Amino acid sequence: MDLLTTSVATADGDPYTLVALAGEADVTNSGALRELLDAEVAKEPRTLVIDLSELRFMDSSALHVILRANRTMDRQGGVLALAGPRDPVAKMLRLTAADQLLPVYATVAEATAE
Amino acid sequence: MEPEQAAPSRVPTRPRQPLPPPGDDATYLTYRTDLAKVRALVLQLSRTAGLTESRASDLVLAVSEVAANTLRHTQSAGTLTIWRQADEFICEVHDEGTIADPQAGQTRPGPDATGGHGLWLVYQVCDLVELRSDETGTTIRMHMGIRPAD
Repeated sequence: MDLLTTSVATADGDPYTLVALAGEADVTNSGALRELLDAEVAKEPRTLVIDLSELRFMDSSALHVILRANRTMDRQGGVLALAGPRDPVAKMLRLTAADQLLPVYATVAEATAE
Repeated sequence: MEPEQAAPSRVPTRPRQPLPPPGDDATYLTYRTDLAKVRALVLQLSRTAGLTESRASDLVLAVSEVAANTLRHTQSAGTLTIWRQADEFICEVHDEGTIADPQAGQTRPGPDATGGHGLWLVYQVCDLVELRSDETGTTIRMHMGIRPAD
């Protein structure tokens, strides 16, 4: 089983892209995560939501990939939002103050609510 | 003989005292790319030692960040050593890397930094962090007190 699994969903008519991460995101797979996010960001969605609810672990290299994607989304006039982080991931977002830079929602439904 | 004058309020550039050896009952793991295994071992032994889930997760993050640096900055394996000592649970990571800045990680990276959070997190979540680094390698010892509330 892969340490990190990802899926991308873009619903018809929905103005957002949903990327779901599951497993453990660390330096050994942050390159793959970057490629995935770069590809989605390049499509210039208005909103890119990353669902973290199935992510058991995230380290600073995965965070950096997300922060870089956030920067590009900002430049493009879009919004990158995080949804459903579990306690350890939420704490890490708080300690790094990443939660001040981009919106963090309890659920995907909240993140995609108009 | 004149008493030696300490330089006024200067932070030592590098601690000189070697760290005391690990406990006799220490568990060792050599790792290279398998950080998931590193994390699983830290989590398992943290729980056994009686850390709460939240503090066990903190320590898992800290050790994983340090072990990730082994991958990023060295070409060789690192060693994780874990032991319990009195009312402390200790994880130590040793590798052949060198941390040139003894203050690395002690200030929070800027709000828009896209790097440099690893050691910062280590200092934030651990009760005590001891770092020794020279041209032969780096040892980072992370302590978590086992509190009555744990």
